[in-house]
Amino acid sequence: MRQLLRAVIFGIVGYLTGAMLTWLVRGGSLGDEVCVVFGYVVGLVGWLFGIGMGDTWVREWFGRPAREQEEIGWKRYLGFSTDHKVIGIQYMATFLVVLLLGGVAAMVMRIELAQAGEGILSADRYNQVMSMHGILMIAVAVAAILGSFGNYLVPIMIGADDMAFPRLNAVTFWLIPPVAIGLLAAPTLGSFDTGWTAYPPLSVINNSGQILFVLAVTTFGLSSILGGLNVVTTIVTMRAPGMTWGRLPIFVWAAFSASVLSLLVTQFFAASLILIAMDRVAGTVFFDGGAGGDPLLYQHLFWFYSHPAVYVMVLPGFGVVLEVITHMARKPLFAYRAAVVSLLTIAGMSVIVWAHHMFTSGMAGYLHGPFMFATEMISVPTGVIFLSAVATLWQGRLWVKTPLLFAMIWVFQFLMGGVTGIFLADVATDVQLHDTYFVVAHFHYTIMGGMLFAFLAGIFFWFPKITGRMINDRLGIVFALWLTVSFQLTFLPQFWLGTNGMNRRIADYPEQLEGANMFSSMSAFLLGGSFLLLVYILISGARRGPVAGDNPWNASTLEWQVSSPPPGHNFPGQPRILEHPYRYGTAGSRHAEMVGVASTHEETVPGTGVREGGDNG
Amino acid sequence: MDRRLVDWIWFGTLWVLLTAVGEFLVLGLDLLPARWSAEADVVDDAYILLMALAVPIFAGVAAALFVSLVRFRVQVDGIPTEDGPPVHTNRRVVRLWLASTLMLALMVTVNPGFIGLAELRGEPSADLVVEVQAQRWSWKVTYPDGAETWNQLYLPADQRVRFDITSLDILHSFWIPAFRVKLDAVPGRTTSLYVTPEGIGSFDDDFNLRVQCAEICGLGHSNMAMPVTVLEADEFDAWLNDLAEGA
Ligand SMILES: [Cu+2]
Ligand SMILES: [Cu+2]
Repeated sequence: MRQLLRAVIFGIVGYLTGAMLTWLVRGGSLGDEVCVVFGYVVGLVGWLFGIGMGDTWVREWFGRPAREQEEIGWKRYLGFSTDHKVIGIQYMATFLVVLLLGGVAAMVMRIELAQAGEGILSADRYNQVMSMHGILMIAVAVAAILGSFGNYLVPIMIGADDMAFPRLNAVTFWLIPPVAIGLLAAPTLGSFDTGWTAYPPLSVINNSGQILFVLAVTTFGLSSILGGLNVVTTIVTMRAPGMTWGRLPIFVWAAFSASVLSLLVTQFFAASLILIAMDRVAGTVFFDGGAGGDPLLYQHLFWFYSHPAVYVMVLPGFGVVLEVITHMARKPLFAYRAAVVSLLTIAGMSVIVWAHHMFTSGMAGYLHGPFMFATEMISVPTGVIFLSAVATLWQGRLWVKTPLLFAMIWVFQFLMGGVTGIFLADVATDVQLHDTYFVVAHFHYTIMGGMLFAFLAGIFFWFPKITGRMINDRLGIVFALWLTVSFQLTFLPQFWLGTNGMNRRIADYPEQLEGANMFSSMSAFLLGGSFLLLVYILISGARRGPVAGDNPWNASTLEWQVSSPPPGHNFPGQPRILEHPYRYGTAGSRHAEMVGVASTHEETVPGTGVREGGDNG
Repeated sequence: MDRRLVDWIWFGTLWVLLTAVGEFLVLGLDLLPARWSAEADVVDDAYILLMALAVPIFAGVAAALFVSLVRFRVQVDGIPTEDGPPVHTNRRVVRLWLASTLMLALMVTVNPGFIGLAELRGEPSADLVVEVQAQRWSWKVTYPDGAETWNQLYLPADQRVRFDITSLDILHSFWIPAFRVKLDAVPGRTTSLYVTPEGIGSFDDDFNLRVQCAEICGLGHSNMAMPVTVLEADEFDAWLNDLAEGA
């Protein structure tokens, strides 16, 4: 609490200092964008020092001992903690809140769109709410799984006691609140109305809220890069003895490929946003077509990041889903090696497909064919993930609890997203469908279906490990079905709307399209309502759920071999990895040898189902 | 009967059934809006072909999920202590899967992919060139003899028209849903688009006979649209003459 208070004060003082100094030097008004930019930068540094960055590194740079005093109890979660498990929970809580905020924005949009004509919002206000919804949800999609499960699980799954750079990890998380504050403060400067894509020239000439968007999202990018660096380094250098690359749990591989991507491509988004900031405040003309600049340059830079970003969002989702399926179908993961190769191939190929977002942008015609080809080819490695998921389920012994149900629904949702994606990769159909509600429906299936449903599968699967308590499974199943049905009812009509002449990002539409819009809006409210149930399930589970024990799913990976929640530094002694994690059905198999704790994974005899002793933890 | 065989029979039956229903819906129901240009046929053919190909894939996965849920589900009291079979990855299955998905992806890339792209692009020749200038939040149309209209687009039927599109201020996008064509209006550039209108009609007949801005451009974006009217070639010439004289 003390750190948080200090951070707020340092942040405000920093902002005022930066803004005032700029104002003193150049005159004008304190609300000018230049003052906002320098104020924000100094404020951000102030915030980081306030929260505790200075107590560690900076003191050490000057030869003084680091002052690391972590608070205890629930207050740890409000301070500068270097414990990867605390940071994982901080991420999860933060992004669940952001998810709900973005959801409220979506509800407001659907109220406006329920009927043709102007409703509760002016056209301007609608554009602002829509843009806010977009960027908040994109942030959730990029960081929710990697930030929470990536932090919480990766070190435990590979037998490490923390991330490779614990302090950097804390900084990575504490960069997020300024992002949220920046975005949510944008309405004080007239908000931003360009959608999350922020295409110039509009994003250069609109209200000053856009500069806060640029600053906040650049900060978010910095956080993504640092987080990626940390996860990659951790996996490369911190694996326990015996944890060879071929024995890594699939979620670790997924987090690895997504982190490599976010480490290597986020810079391009940051660069394009900084160019926008310069066009706005420094008088450059990078994107001014009339003055020799080129608006299309931005789109190339932007999509060079933002297509791979889709995979930063969904690759960890692939990992979660395959992990849940193999444990709860109680079968070895089918085509593990092929799935790993596919994850890496998808990550590699994702940087050569970006211009499929630009078939109607006016870019040179010779680019259409190659980008269409590359995009269609990415469906091959993605198909392997489906094979792995479905073939693992086949002939398994499915323990259909909420996590498995979510994982199975995920397969359906992401398939829907993938199949409709072909229509957007194909130039002929994309010329009609680009920038319509078909795209809106498509990316909600891909991102909400591919990332959020995996996130939920993960939350329900690892909740007992994180909190030590079980969740109400019946309610979980009700929630899963409620969400899934209302999801279809919301987004299926939007495919039709897009094909039939409704473009996206509009506050008003031809009245002939009213029926389907009203239907979609009503279903959207139903969908929104389901999240109230989720909040209830999570809170009541954490407070009153039955005690989970160490290994309620009788699963094999390392995180289930320690207490729930795991002890500080995760393992009493260094675990040794003996074999592949998913050897379900093989007698006497053991993923790891634990020091100081008894294994909790009960071994079984193949086929017969007779338990062969096993040391019960 | 062998239990595994029954699983496969279930799966096969369900797959065929779902595929049949799906294909019936895709090919039987007319989900697409009316076509008013030669290009619209290319786009819609591609759309229908892709849907027809998507149905069996979708049905296969859905069938496998459903059969798994029904046939492989077990009731467990407490924690599960029985495992499924320790199946080793059958490499032949993986190779077969890779080969078939690769084949399918290549097929789709060729047709409708490259073939559709070539058909849509057509020959770079035009019977009529129309200049379109977008600006917030209106459209200016200039015909060959210099006559102009604002927020009205008239076209002759069955003639290949080239639109030279540009923007005065920021990005807009020139979209005619009934024609299935779309291209951005970019400040500082001229982008070109070919289309051959078919059939006589106007916005009053079909609300998709309109030019709609499809790239967000601020306050008036939703309503940045102009009606399109397609006339017989001779009527169009007469209309154009009147317009030129009136100007
Ligand atoms: Cu993309
Ligand atoms: Cu416009």
